[in-house]
Amino acid sequence: MKKSLKLLGVLLLICSGFFIVTFTVYIFNLDMKLTALIEPFLLKHYDKIERDRHL
Amino acid sequence: MAKEVGADRLGDFYIDGGKVRKRREWRGVSDTLYDYSRWLKIMMTLGKFIAKPRNIKAMFRYRWMANYLAVPMMVDRHTQGLRGEYLRICHEEQDLIIDDVAQLLENLFRGDRRIGNDTEFSKKVVLVDENEMTAVMMGFPTLKCLSRETPSTYVSVLLNQHAAEHYIDVAQEFGLAGDVCPMPEAEAGVSIDDDAPVLGACAIQCNTTCDGSLLGNGVISRRLEKEDGISVFQLAAPLRHQEDDVQDYAAQEIRNAIAFIEQHTGVKWDWNAYFECAKRVNYATRCRQEWLEMNRTDYPQVFGSNLALYTETNYMAICGRIPAFEKADRNITRLARQAFEKKKMAAKEYRHRAIIWGVQSHYYMDFLVWLLNCWGIVPLTDMLSMVSTRELKETDTPENRETAYYDMAWLTENMIMRNRTHGGYKVLLDELWEYVEQFNADMVILWEHMSCKALDGMHGLFEERARERGIPLVWVTHDLFDPRIVSRQGVRDQINSYMRTVMREEPLDPSLEVLNDEESW
Repeated sequence: MKKSLKLLGVLLLICSGFFIVTFTVYIFNLDMKLTALIEPFLLKHYDKIERDRHL
Repeated sequence: MAKEVGADRLGDFYIDGGKVRKRREWRGVSDTLYDYSRWLKIMMTLGKFIAKPRNIKAMFRYRWMANYLAVPMMVDRHTQGLRGEYLRICHEEQDLIIDDVAQLLENLFRGDRRIGNDTEFSKKVVLVDENEMTAVMMGFPTLKCLSRETPSTYVSVLLNQHAAEHYIDVAQEFGLAGDVCPMPEAEAGVSIDDDAPVLGACAIQCNTTCDGSLLGNGVISRRLEKEDGISVFQLAAPLRHQEDDVQDYAAQEIRNAIAFIEQHTGVKWDWNAYFECAKRVNYATRCRQEWLEMNRTDYPQVFGSNLALYTETNYMAICGRIPAFEKADRNITRLARQAFEKKKMAAKEYRHRAIIWGVQSHYYMDFLVWLLNCWGIVPLTDMLSMVSTRELKETDTPENRETAYYDMAWLTENMIMRNRTHGGYKVLLDELWEYVEQFNADMVILWEHMSCKALDGMHGLFEERARERGIPLVWVTHDLFDPRIVSRQGVRDQINSYMRTVMREEPLDPSLEVLNDEESW
């Protein structure tokens, strides 16, 4: 009984932690703020790729 | 931070000159938790997608893949200010479209000679244009009908307003005219830039809408056929699609296209699959008609980008082939009925009922949401959503098999946009004013896509008719895929100045009137 209560507590803690972290990311738009930082590096990378450009 | 519709100043969410917004909206507990749960689902879809090494490889190979970093923001743009059923309808559609595009990308990269190089899979792939009805694929359930242009240009510009600029410049560097429609020009640019996945047993191109489209297809098919060894069928659907005398020819083109696919894939046409798809197309048509019926009343429910973006996808790209869209049709209809019974409204005030006509600015698809939130203008329906409502034959009989060729031809001729920009005076000009009456509209917003010769030629005739009827007509100029020519604020300014100077009105939400979003995705 004690063990299952403890397990339930841990599970609740994990779920709450997951919710707090993901909801913070969601509401403050942190996911988009992060990907906006990544984009310029990707664009530089694409410029370096050799391509067979022609009509 | 408000539960009530229209209580927030939505312009305050923008970062001046920034790429993304400050934060997401608080829509009250229930709607915020719902939106959060759908955001989580989108993150899971994206997570599953990037968990595959070949998708990562593709991310680093194709420039247009960088735009997919902005997927959650695209949804945020379309859900701006929405609550209750409207928010749910939007997610029902957008989330399904995201799943469908993720699946399309996975399939493209699986068969792509540069990425997955699954040759057996590639033999089952038929490439189609972005701007093409997929009716000829309704009887090939074991083949994969994939469009390279949909993810590389069409969806990319929905995600990031600047997505096509690089490819437009590449096409012009190689001497293609700068005054054609930037959509086919960008598609040609992707091909010239060696940035299109290479796969497929064969391809079907269609003489879709315009000279620019034919130009783009010419460039693309040359590379496909001469370098990649992928045969291309040119499906020449009649432009005078309202005339009876072209229908035999149109049906024969469909027979030829089907025979071409059978020859190159070794797969036979399946009538059972065709009639199953036809049932789903009919169901989607009935649902769309019910939504439009509601939009004729004082309580429109499925309108704006909720109607436009979904209709484009479901009618043209899906064409009854994917059962998940039937479920979405059912859910959207249920939500719309629910809101209609409660006489719900998507904004705190509806000031004007507008018909949106012409070809919309693709880099500003969420303009319709802006119209509602900023000025209280309800975009009841738009030109691209007013597509064929003809019921297809759906039972398998010898006579119906023959009629089916005509049904597929009719759909192909009446592809989105093509059904209005070609086919004569009646479908482009006369029917607009019939819709104004049917929908009890008091305003017409007319997109003037400056590179679209088919529409620009009718400018004066539209004005003449508007004057005759005393209906305010607002021209909104744009360049479809290129916000460097007319920016999003440039689009907004045309409405702002009309509403202030002609209509003498003040905005519902003044914070949205001027936004520094030129750098935004």
